[in-house]
Amino acid sequence: MAEGYANDTEWANVTPIELDDGSESGAMPLATIAYPPEYLEATSYLRAVMAANEMSERALKLTKDVISMNPAHYTVWIYRARILFALDKDLVEELNWLNGVSLKYLKNYQIWHHRQVLVSSRTHFPTMPTKEPDFLMEMFAQDSKNYHVWTYRHWLVRHFKLWDSPREIEDVETLIKADVRNNSAWNHRYMLRFGPRDDEPDAGMVNAGKSQSKPEEKGRLPVVDEDLVDEDLKYAQKQILRAPENRSPWWYARGALHAAGRSLGEWEEFVAKFVEGDEVKSSHAVEWLADVYAEAEKTKAVEMLTMLKDKYDPIRKNYWDYRIRMLGQVA
Amino acid sequence: MALVSGPGRAGGTSSDQELHILKHVTYIKNLDTRKEELEYWLTEHLRLNGVYWGLTALHLLGHPDALPREETIDFVLSCQKENGGFGAAPGHDAHMLYTVSAVQILVTIDAVDELEKRGRGGKQRVGSFIASMQNNEDGSFMGDQWGETDTRFLYGALNALSLLGLLDMVDLPKAVSYVQSCENFDGAYGVTPGAESHSGQVFTCVGALAIAGRLDLVNRDRLGAWLSERQIDKGGFNGRPEKLPDACYAWWVGSSLAMIDRLHWIDGKKLASFVLQCQDPEAGGFADRPGNMVDVYHTHFGIAGLSLLGVEGLQEVDPIYCMPKAVIARCFAR
Repeated sequence: MAEGYANDTEWANVTPIELDDGSESGAMPLATIAYPPEYLEATSYLRAVMAANEMSERALKLTKDVISMNPAHYTVWIYRARILFALDKDLVEELNWLNGVSLKYLKNYQIWHHRQVLVSSRTHFPTMPTKEPDFLMEMFAQDSKNYHVWTYRHWLVRHFKLWDSPREIEDVETLIKADVRNNSAWNHRYMLRFGPRDDEPDAGMVNAGKSQSKPEEKGRLPVVDEDLVDEDLKYAQKQILRAPENRSPWWYARGALHAAGRSLGEWEEFVAKFVEGDEVKSSHAVEWLADVYAEAEKTKAVEMLTMLKDKYDPIRKNYWDYRIRMLGQVA
Repeated sequence: MALVSGPGRAGGTSSDQELHILKHVTYIKNLDTRKEELEYWLTEHLRLNGVYWGLTALHLLGHPDALPREETIDFVLSCQKENGGFGAAPGHDAHMLYTVSAVQILVTIDAVDELEKRGRGGKQRVGSFIASMQNNEDGSFMGDQWGETDTRFLYGALNALSLLGLLDMVDLPKAVSYVQSCENFDGAYGVTPGAESHSGQVFTCVGALAIAGRLDLVNRDRLGAWLSERQIDKGGFNGRPEKLPDACYAWWVGSSLAMIDRLHWIDGKKLASFVLQCQDPEAGGFADRPGNMVDVYHTHFGIAGLSLLGVEGLQEVDPIYCMPKAVIARCFAR
């Protein structure tokens, strides 16, 4: 469809603006860009309507055309969002269109920012668009660790205060059930249960953003729902049993205990089952025991760290050596 | 600099542990002759980044003059906009990522003066564009006026401003506190507060703290443990737990470890061996994994990672700036 715009009466009153690649300065650019004619034509009309700041149906159509050829063109998304708001378009319809584009270009992140710009309009969306979770699960079916989608979902939780929404935890559990090694899902669960809520600025853990907080205060909740923590710890144990060498639930449990101000020693009995005799089922369990023993039984702690160094994680030999040396300094 | 991938594939083997320097130089120099390919225009939105990647790799390979200096300056300046920022290519809007690449390129070829001579408004206006991207409330940085937030932009801002000697144009304590809010319980950092820890974002957060002189805020042991755990049996690093290894993480993870003095916690020999298997020993270039297509992004970060490890034949790379150490020393000696 080269010359599709030039021959279209709807566009007859627009003079396209050709690309200024700096070559008129007499300098031969290092990276002259070769375009297929369709793209070149569409973007020349795009430059013209953008220069005139035109907020029209035809401009909206043009942005869709450019996006369909190159969704990574970041400028066109900004312009499209401005037109949508200026013309008071149906944003739910826009989201439906975006769903298709997102499923087609899984790695593109401009799409997700565009979505966030739209959904953040309180006028249009005083509450979360009802189909968001379904669509996000459709995205996760393609790639359950998609970083952009998870970041967007975290933003949704905060924007619409969804920490205790049953659907959030339900989706997390569905995804962990499908893949217990999905660290992204574990992170989302941690943020739902232990992350800062709306009385605090957002952060990876409570108190993280405050320069005056001590390391041990980070991630430590001021008010603890012990039943919830117990339930979470039970959940983590169940997932550890499914795949003992999987790091995520081990660290989740550390985070949960720390949030509640409880000690790692609480799990000693459970953890010891993974380190019986010569049969070690989890290096994370060995490390956990080393941390527990570090309090009062240093020799046993060194024994654990040495096992990691020599047998279960020798690639990080120098790290384990450092841990052993640190124990000596504390003693 | 074209970002077209291929045509070669990473065909290194564990027995071939030689770094094919001249092959990589030829590969990078030839990138710009491939304008007939479809992918060339699809990657236009990355062009200025591509020049930075290619140029820096050539410097680390010991061939700093392989790209024509004057043409490089002309191209960079042709990407500058009225507001002082740079777009990915001529005709594209200004964005933080390309502005940072533009500054890094000009510093590398010792041409920052050209901003005063031929640029729009000198380095002061570049600094103004960068500073205008800071969110005064939380200290974060946007990529452009559209408002996307990412710790990459914050790091980039501090990187470029410090190279230009203009760090006082932004609210540094606020930027530092924003980085802190991105710290997770595992000691690592995400793209925004609450986002999952990711090696690339760890580099940007730790790099930003290093430039701000606040590495004291990093939980070094916990972060070092998380970072060193990214090394998997074959020797390569992954970016997040339970993901596949990728040559570029030799840089993101390795430089972060270097900044907190923990690079010796990983097996450097095994890592170098993995990265070398990602090179195409015939036509040059690096891929993400053995057997895949090579591209300039993985070529640059693969080489930078090898330089960190002290592989013979390479110039030393600065772990904070991802530029040759000699260039950084010259820049700050002024």
